[in-house]
Amino acid sequence: MIRLRRITKFFGRNQVLKDIDLTVEKGEVVVILGPSGSGKTTLLRCINYLEKPNAGEVAIGELAVDCKRPSKKDIQALRRKTAMVFQHYNLFKHKTALENVMEGLVVVRKLAKEEARERSVRVLEKVGLGDKLDAYPSQLSGGQQQRVGIARALALEPEAILFDEPTSALDPERVGEVLEVIRNIAKEGITMIVVTHEMGFARDVANRVVFMDGGVIVEEGDPKIIFSRPKEERTRQFLKRITPEANYSI
Amino acid sequence: MPGAKFDIAYLFDYFPKLLSTLNVTLTIVSLSILFGLGVGFLVALPRLYKIPVLRRLSEVYVSFFRGTPILIQLFLIYYGLPEMLKLVHIDVTRTPVLVFVVLTYSLHAGAFISEMIRAGVTAVDRGQAEAAYSVGMNGYQTFTRIVLPQALAISLPVFANLVIATLKDTSLAFTLGVMEMTGKADTLITLGQHYIETYIDLAIIYFVISFALERLFRLLERRLLRHERRERTAGKRFGRNVPSLRGLLAESAGVPKGGAGG
Repeated sequence: MIRLRRITKFFGRNQVLKDIDLTVEKGEVVVILGPSGSGKTTLLRCINYLEKPNAGEVAIGELAVDCKRPSKKDIQALRRKTAMVFQHYNLFKHKTALENVMEGLVVVRKLAKEEARERSVRVLEKVGLGDKLDAYPSQLSGGQQQRVGIARALALEPEAILFDEPTSALDPERVGEVLEVIRNIAKEGITMIVVTHEMGFARDVANRVVFMDGGVIVEEGDPKIIFSRPKEERTRQFLKRITPEANYSI
Repeated sequence: MPGAKFDIAYLFDYFPKLLSTLNVTLTIVSLSILFGLGVGFLVALPRLYKIPVLRRLSEVYVSFFRGTPILIQLFLIYYGLPEMLKLVHIDVTRTPVLVFVVLTYSLHAGAFISEMIRAGVTAVDRGQAEAAYSVGMNGYQTFTRIVLPQALAISLPVFANLVIATLKDTSLAFTLGVMEMTGKADTLITLGQHYIETYIDLAIIYFVISFALERLFRLLERRLLRHERRERTAGKRFGRNVPSLRGLLAESAGVPKGGAGG
């Protein structure tokens, strides 16, 4: 359903994505892993054009956009097929939780206010924030803010939700509540692409794991296989570093 | 000492006389700010969106009006503009002085307002616009619905200063013979030589209006920044009730606190 073809991205003279090909099927949960600087977040941001690829093709469903000459309309259309959950939540600071969720429905999807409200309340209840509708982001904890962020994405009923390190900015004790919400969504069969460092989450929830390093996809496959017996040496090193065997000697 | 002997009776006598011209002063202020907002907005956009030639032009405009005294701007526009317009055969000799005055103050305020808007917009976290794009908003919707409201809230303290400064600057319009408050004071002095009484009255009036404006803006700021206020309990998490210095500074400057996830 999502097809990335030969995606190339430079920051100045530094090439961060090198000819990346990636296909995500409908209903699939794909987790992208990799060390920082490997280009995984950039790749994710290329899908909704928050980052403009220098070359390649981004296609979602029927819509294919050539990155050499994308029109404003194409970019807009691409963005309307996806929704994003950000590392730093990026909730609209001047709007309440409810307004945050309603905004896109009313302004972009042109839903009637009442309908948008109903749907937003329903989604906020689903992420466990039915009692925080009128709270401003500054009055919410990080975990609550991120759940509003997820509700905002979910309410749009996009074809896919892109998660950009959704738990990296959270207090360790808040990570669980957010992962729980994402887990539940995954069960509903929504297409998701998740950039994360949560290995446990990747193992349990992903249908497929993609390991990136140095701007290329090093290896991809079933999480059980990737985690237990990766083919590539680079993957092995990474996994070893990030999930060290229990060793409490000093 | 020049002038007549101090007589407190004149303090009360001149008060209503000066107040009768308050409407002229307030007209200059409100029109200038209104037009200034329009001008400032138009001038800020090319710089925010980095439009090649227009951007330079607005830079020149801003630095001229910020870099020269308003008194000289008044004279340049009042005496210079009609001459320039004569070249293209437009006769403005019958145009009321007030028009030139409002024009000058508008352009002057516009320069400062454009800087204010630019600073405000730049201060809004980039993630806000990204979030707006990610839900599918176009550039215009993102700017008007998400970025601008936050930028204006941030800019409000600067704007309040500007309005008060403009109020006080209008006192220079009397040099062109406009009968606003200071102009009226000038005439009263010529007639009665009661310098001190007149200027005390004048000071009181300007001060009271400035003070009222300051209060009004503070209320408005509190309303616009209501989303920044945390719930009482938030500060007690670490067993201390004292707000942080950084928080206080940010509050008094009307700027949201920095840091991720705020």
